[in-house]
Amino acid sequence: MQPEKFYYDNKIVRNFGIATVIWGIIGMTVGLIAAIQLFHPGANMNNQYTTFGRIRPLHTNAVIFAFVGNAIFMGVYYSLQRLLKARMFSDALSKIHFWGWQLIIVSAVITLPLGLTTSHEYAELEWPIDIAITIIWVVFGINMFGTIFKRRERHLYVAIWFYIATFVTIAVLHIVNSFELPVSAFKSYMVYAGVQDALVQWWYGHNAVAFFLTTPYLGMMYYFLPKMANRPVYSYKLSILHFWALIFIYIWAGPHHLLYTTLPGWAQSLGVAFSIMLIAPSWGGMINGLLTLRGAWDKVRDDVILKFMVVALTAYGMATFEGPMLSLKQVNSIAHFSDWIIAHVHVGALGWNGFLTFGILYWLIPRIYKTELFSKKLASFHFWIGTLGIIFYAVPMYWAGFTQSLMLKEFTPEGMLKYPNFLETTLQILPMHIMRSVGGAMYLLGVIVMAYNLTKTALQGNLLADEPAQAMPLEPLHAVAREASWHRRLERKPIQLMIAALVVILIGTFIELMPTLTISSNIPTIASVKPYTSLELQGRDLYIREGCSNCHSQTVRPFRSETERYGEYSKAGEFVYDHPFLWGSKRTGPDLAREGSKYGNAWHYNHLMDPRLMSPGSIMPGYDWLLTQPLDTTTTKAKINAMRTLGVPYPVGYENQANADLDKQAKAIAADLAKDHIKVKSNKEVIAIIAYLQRLGMDIKANKTANK
Amino acid sequence: MFKQFTENISGHQAYLLFSLAIFLVFFIVVSIVLFRIRKPHVDHMSQLPLSDNQIDSTNS
Repeated sequence: MQPEKFYYDNKIVRNFGIATVIWGIIGMTVGLIAAIQLFHPGANMNNQYTTFGRIRPLHTNAVIFAFVGNAIFMGVYYSLQRLLKARMFSDALSKIHFWGWQLIIVSAVITLPLGLTTSHEYAELEWPIDIAITIIWVVFGINMFGTIFKRRERHLYVAIWFYIATFVTIAVLHIVNSFELPVSAFKSYMVYAGVQDALVQWWYGHNAVAFFLTTPYLGMMYYFLPKMANRPVYSYKLSILHFWALIFIYIWAGPHHLLYTTLPGWAQSLGVAFSIMLIAPSWGGMINGLLTLRGAWDKVRDDVILKFMVVALTAYGMATFEGPMLSLKQVNSIAHFSDWIIAHVHVGALGWNGFLTFGILYWLIPRIYKTELFSKKLASFHFWIGTLGIIFYAVPMYWAGFTQSLMLKEFTPEGMLKYPNFLETTLQILPMHIMRSVGGAMYLLGVIVMAYNLTKTALQGNLLADEPAQAMPLEPLHAVAREASWHRRLERKPIQLMIAALVVILIGTFIELMPTLTISSNIPTIASVKPYTSLELQGRDLYIREGCSNCHSQTVRPFRSETERYGEYSKAGEFVYDHPFLWGSKRTGPDLAREGSKYGNAWHYNHLMDPRLMSPGSIMPGYDWLLTQPLDTTTTKAKINAMRTLGVPYPVGYENQANADLDKQAKAIAADLAKDHIKVKSNKEVIAIIAYLQRLGMDIKANKTANK
Repeated sequence: MFKQFTENISGHQAYLLFSLAIFLVFFIVVSIVLFRIRKPHVDHMSQLPLSDNQIDSTNS
């Protein structure tokens, strides 16, 4: 048989490479602006579109789906072709995938600052964009499997398994966490409510980390690291164990994001137990990567690419050791809601994802441009300023997390909270927030230097758009002797491999999600909990639009330090009408679950206008646009109808009187404000959001009063 | 210290044991599979990233 000649498509790899660098710089710049607002709130330029609550989701989406996403596709399109000895299945699909993905990112850049968000973390994009993501993901899948089917290498290398698991699991996660009922073109309500919504969201959120930030990168590590070190992976058997154990265990660990909440205790315990077990496969993978460099450690001293890879693997090891530790309830009670978590994710994002991406870019761009890297010195500078940037970022955040959490938990000998005012603890950590943004700026500078270095490299070379290659065609299967091991047979059957991976991830998914979604006794109802009034519902949607849940939680954990500070701990039955849940994951400001009637309407009005009037030194941005913008009440009817469809018991026909009700309640609030000499029309947005804030936690309080 | 962790999730030991059992079963199954894989195959697979421009005449 004659070898077949064909060409690898390098152009699509290059395009995804350019995209990852550009979006990386944009995403990190947005992150830096957000970070500066946490000690200098005026950095939002007094503009609603650049305020923290709206650009924090833009930052996370940009770095996860634009920077890391494009890097994944760059790595997959390069390695897949070579491991399968075949060009990508369809150039047209490659192009649709590339441009479709960039369009989705652009739509995120437009809609998130406009406040069009579902509020589900890392899944903020509204329903039309969710549909676009699904379509483009399927295009990617067809292109990948098409390539696999026309391959010239019988067996699929472990990197490809990781890619297949990524494809199938992200598809499942995205679909299940996007069950939304559209209200208008860019507004929808989650189908699940309260505890169930929280469980689905953090099953998604945790596994987005697992299957978007981890498995594709492990696949890339298993391909590129042996190439860079010019030696095979330390143990191929360990990589198989790594693969199956990782995808099986990861999917169970989501509930560790909801410890001490009203999620059923058994689900929390299960999440913790599997989180601990995750150390085994994660560290197996890290050790496998580091030992691949056995006998090549002298190269690490001179080769900046290997330096990036070693720091990436070390950061992976640190983050995956820390993760299980954070899931221990005692540790979690301190770390959760604090800056510690921000430090943790950035060790992963900056160290693991960032440095692995940079290592691959420095290795790959000169190769496809048939030239040498423009400047090794600049690359070395990037390595050091990036590494220092990570340290300057993470250490102050750890410090801030410990400090604030311990302050919030401290009691005086008399048994009173030592720092009853939340703001006192915030002011204590502002220097750490400043240092963090310095670390972030250093890291960003490194990326900009890399962009310059890679551009110069590309300019001095010529892109080899179609790289010639040759390989023997595959013999028909009947000519091949039947293989003894069923796993070896599985390695040449991509569809069966995908189904096996799907089954493995669905086991944990079903055992954890199903009882909470189907057995009503897991969520005890509370008779006094009533649906929101139409004005409160509109106010709640403004709360979502402004991204308040990025800084304020709405769940009181059963600790004395929290019940003293905020009030009675949260109950599952309180959230049954919350589509979506708004528990939040970070307390940059205090919890708001029991905010209702804590302050007067006038306090809220002044506080929203300028938080520093009521709380000197506060880092909350002013929301003066809420004072002038009229509330859009044309949506009320559709919202009430949608909520009723989702099971909220609004009486039939209520949608027709909802706006009259809304007016009545708004006028009462405006009249109350007038008593405090605040002149505001009752149709302004601020009235709706005050109504919502004053409702928070009142169902339980009302119950208490009634029982007395 | 470990006692503290288990006590804190009292009433849920069944879930811990259940998850441990699942983990062990899964781990053992994968281990058996791994021991059954032959060395030449492992060598072939681990060489794949390094041989993307070599023509393998025994392509089966």
